[in-house]
Amino acid sequence: MPPAPGPDILRGTLDLLILKALSWGPAHGYAVARWIQQATGDALAVGEGSLYPALHRLEEREWIAASWGTSENNRQAKYYALTRRGRAQLRIEADNWRRYAAAVFAALDAPALQG
Amino acid sequence: MARWSRFRRFFGAEPKTDVDAELAFHLEMRARELVDAGVAPDRARELALQRFGDYDGPRKQCVAITTRRERRMARIEYLHELRQDVGYALRMLRRAPGFTLVALTTLALGIGANSAIFSVVHGVLLAPLPYRDADRLYRVTTLYPDGTPYSLSPPDFMSVREQTRTFEQVEAFTDGIYTMLGAGEPREVRGTGVSDGFFTLLGLPVAVGRGFLPAENQPGRDRIAVLDHAFWQRQFGGDPTVVGRTITVAGTPLEIVGVLAEGARLQNDTDLYRPITYDDTFSAATARGRRGEFLFVVGRATPGTTLARIDADLKRIGTQLQSSFRGTNDGLTFNATTLNDVIVGDVRTPLLVLLGAVGFVLLVACANVANLLLARASARRSELAVRSALGAGRVRLVRQLLTEAVVLGGVGAAIGVAIAYGATRALVAAEPANIPRLREVGVNGVVVAFTFAIGISTSVLFGILPALQFSGKRLPSALRDSTRSGTGGGQRMRSTLVVAEMALAVVLLIGAGLLIRSFVQMTRVDPGFRPEQALSFRVTLQGEKYRKDEAARLRAAEFEDRLRALPGVTTVATTSLLPLSGRGAMVGFAVVGAPPPPPNVNAEIAMASITPDYFRAINTPLRRGRFFTAHDQTEAPRVVIVNEAAVRRWFADRDPIGSHVDINGVEREVVGLVGDVLQRNPADPVAPMVFAPYAQRTTRSLRIVVRTAGDPSALTTAIRGEIRAIDADLAITDIRPLRQLVVRSLSTPRFYTSLLTLFAGVGLVLATTGVFGVMSYAVAQRTREISIRMALGALPGDVLRMIVGRAIGLAAIGAVVGVATALLLGRFIQGQLFGVSLLDPATIGIVPLVLGASAALASFVPARRATRFDPASALRE
Repeated sequence: MPPAPGPDILRGTLDLLILKALSWGPAHGYAVARWIQQATGDALAVGEGSLYPALHRLEEREWIAASWGTSENNRQAKYYALTRRGRAQLRIEADNWRRYAAAVFAALDAPALQG
Repeated sequence: MARWSRFRRFFGAEPKTDVDAELAFHLEMRARELVDAGVAPDRARELALQRFGDYDGPRKQCVAITTRRERRMARIEYLHELRQDVGYALRMLRRAPGFTLVALTTLALGIGANSAIFSVVHGVLLAPLPYRDADRLYRVTTLYPDGTPYSLSPPDFMSVREQTRTFEQVEAFTDGIYTMLGAGEPREVRGTGVSDGFFTLLGLPVAVGRGFLPAENQPGRDRIAVLDHAFWQRQFGGDPTVVGRTITVAGTPLEIVGVLAEGARLQNDTDLYRPITYDDTFSAATARGRRGEFLFVVGRATPGTTLARIDADLKRIGTQLQSSFRGTNDGLTFNATTLNDVIVGDVRTPLLVLLGAVGFVLLVACANVANLLLARASARRSELAVRSALGAGRVRLVRQLLTEAVVLGGVGAAIGVAIAYGATRALVAAEPANIPRLREVGVNGVVVAFTFAIGISTSVLFGILPALQFSGKRLPSALRDSTRSGTGGGQRMRSTLVVAEMALAVVLLIGAGLLIRSFVQMTRVDPGFRPEQALSFRVTLQGEKYRKDEAARLRAAEFEDRLRALPGVTTVATTSLLPLSGRGAMVGFAVVGAPPPPPNVNAEIAMASITPDYFRAINTPLRRGRFFTAHDQTEAPRVVIVNEAAVRRWFADRDPIGSHVDINGVEREVVGLVGDVLQRNPADPVAPMVFAPYAQRTTRSLRIVVRTAGDPSALTTAIRGEIRAIDADLAITDIRPLRQLVVRSLSTPRFYTSLLTLFAGVGLVLATTGVFGVMSYAVAQRTREISIRMALGALPGDVLRMIVGRAIGLAAIGAVVGVATALLLGRFIQGQLFGVSLLDPATIGIVPLVLGASAALASFVPARRATRFDPASALRE
């Protein structure tokens, strides 16, 4: 069951984005997609579908919890909320990502190896 | 919210529909947003799908993940509820210590007894023999025309070995008792001679030293021995340097070359093995020695060979030998029996009968516990109703009641394992005669698994009734019911259970009754001798100094003279064979002058040698003629004494006294006729037998009988002293009162009879307790009714009669069902009966009376209680 990341986004990054999207409160899948669309300049433009396996996997790991509720337009929708463990995970992953990005940026700006 | 989602599945949520709904919602929201932005609805849907990308892949993944998750949740939830149920069950059991104690004791004893008997059945019957490819091992026997199987002679063994097409290996052994010198006190040992590949055939590994080499069966190279492991431990303290030492067995020095591994052994209690010496009769070509049959032959069949094919093969070899060796092999063939049947065939049915009987005891115990649970469940109606009203589902309640039963069964099984452990050790230590492989019996993994399996399955059996009774009822109405009114259905169920357990008890009692009657009949059989005030012991004259018959005769006479001189000794005699010790050597026999018997009749007779005073020493009556005297010397005319069985068989219309008989080609005159003496056990008919004077047929294996005026055991030390003074190299074995022979001959029936009687007794006690419980409960339930009757003028006697009568009525039904069942099952103990028929009127008549009396007794106490009800207070309630 290899993960199917969106064409433009790494799987770990997608998990991180989902956790971040939910950090402001429970939301259904579409709202998460919308937030990612706006926050990333439409990184998921094609392949929004890959969002859902990621959501279910996070639910299985108990980083997020799902429940059915009523949406703003009175429809049954599945809402996801960050669990305590998910919130902790978000902090860890965000830190990791920042360190990683900083390292990559530093490398990009580094001069050629001497000798 | 999270907790809520956990229970959502109760409403039929399906991972698939959930996922579809979720994805549909997404597409719909996206499309709606596009429509709001002015895109045409059709186009909006198309764009939404496009943006979504691959649909089926993510959907499948979501379904898979969710299904996996749901299953895990269900499992966790199930375990959680199970823990709750078990916890609750344990609390309930603790809260009712009386009930728990009675139920657990009943169950643990029932399960423990089953477990113990099963461990014997497993070790003896079920576990494969501890040999390589045990399922392919067969014993080969010579088959005489009249159907009697015999061992094989060396040439026949070699012929079978050479010509077989169904065996990949054929080996032989022969055993005997020998005197061993060179290791402490002289002692008798059981020695087994084995053919060249015997250890490899059975796969018996060697722990120290080596086994035998193929060439070591040749004369001159055969003076070596391999020790049995247990014998090595016992006799040599497990000393590994024993290899290389020389011991003297049967007068021959043998070098010890090895010790077999622990547990590697034959089933004949061999102490040491040596190679069979292959003399010139060990040849497929010779006619010599064809009718000297003493080899126990074992073959390993090629894989996939059926017994029918083996028998056909052996028959072919037999027919072939008939034509090649006319005169020696006329009419003889061979046949095969699985080694397993040879070893355990005789005990299979009796052991399975015991297992069945103990299973019945457990069923009775189950019925009792079921009754206890039913009574308790009635008492718990309100509690269960409350739980139901508070939302516990019917399934959940049934499950909880079953859990209580299974917890009972599980704890019962755990105690049962402990009981079985003790009981099995006691059983093995008791060494019930003639049960082979007892040393392999023990509580092992299989036995523990069996114990828990019966613990759990019986608990379902006795737990299901009360549980079903409740699931069938509308519980909320039970909340309203007054606890006083009895429920007809429950009472009927309880009565049925009691009838069932009484029927089972009747089957057990009839079985035990028949065995007891058989046993009594056996003890009444006249053994043909008077064992009181006599003892016997065994001495074997082995070695160079007894090589000559004359030396053995002088020594035997010397023993008799010295022992006769001991104070208190009245008679001393010597024999080659004691009563109740088998039939001894078989010899060819014919009455001179009588028409020859048909050729397919086995014309053999058992023979023993005795000194003149033998029949006086064992006190067997002379019917006609005379006993031997000192005049029947070696050189005197050859004479014999015959027993009554021999007269019945061979002298139909002639006077035996004065007749001449031909024994192995030697003519002898019959001078006496003695009463029959039991040879094997009381149930085994006495076979024809002849006795020759020791002076004319001198054996080396002596059984000396000493009859005394007082207690014979007091002479044991003196006797040992006398023999040792004569020859310190002789081993004195089995010195014991003659009475012991009689006791030992009954040990097998005694073992089965006592166990079955024990089981029947337990069954009866349990069934009686069952009656007591049910009648007590019925009386308690009918307090009001009985009170009304008494208020209306019923006398205490009427009430007593009514209740006791009802118990006896139940017992009557139980007795009828039980007797019918017993008759159906009777054929399984047919083989163990002696002197009684299955339809023994005494047994079948007495058992129902015993049952009726126990039922009456059991109901009397509750009935008495009923007569003391105070009508006024009962009605006021």
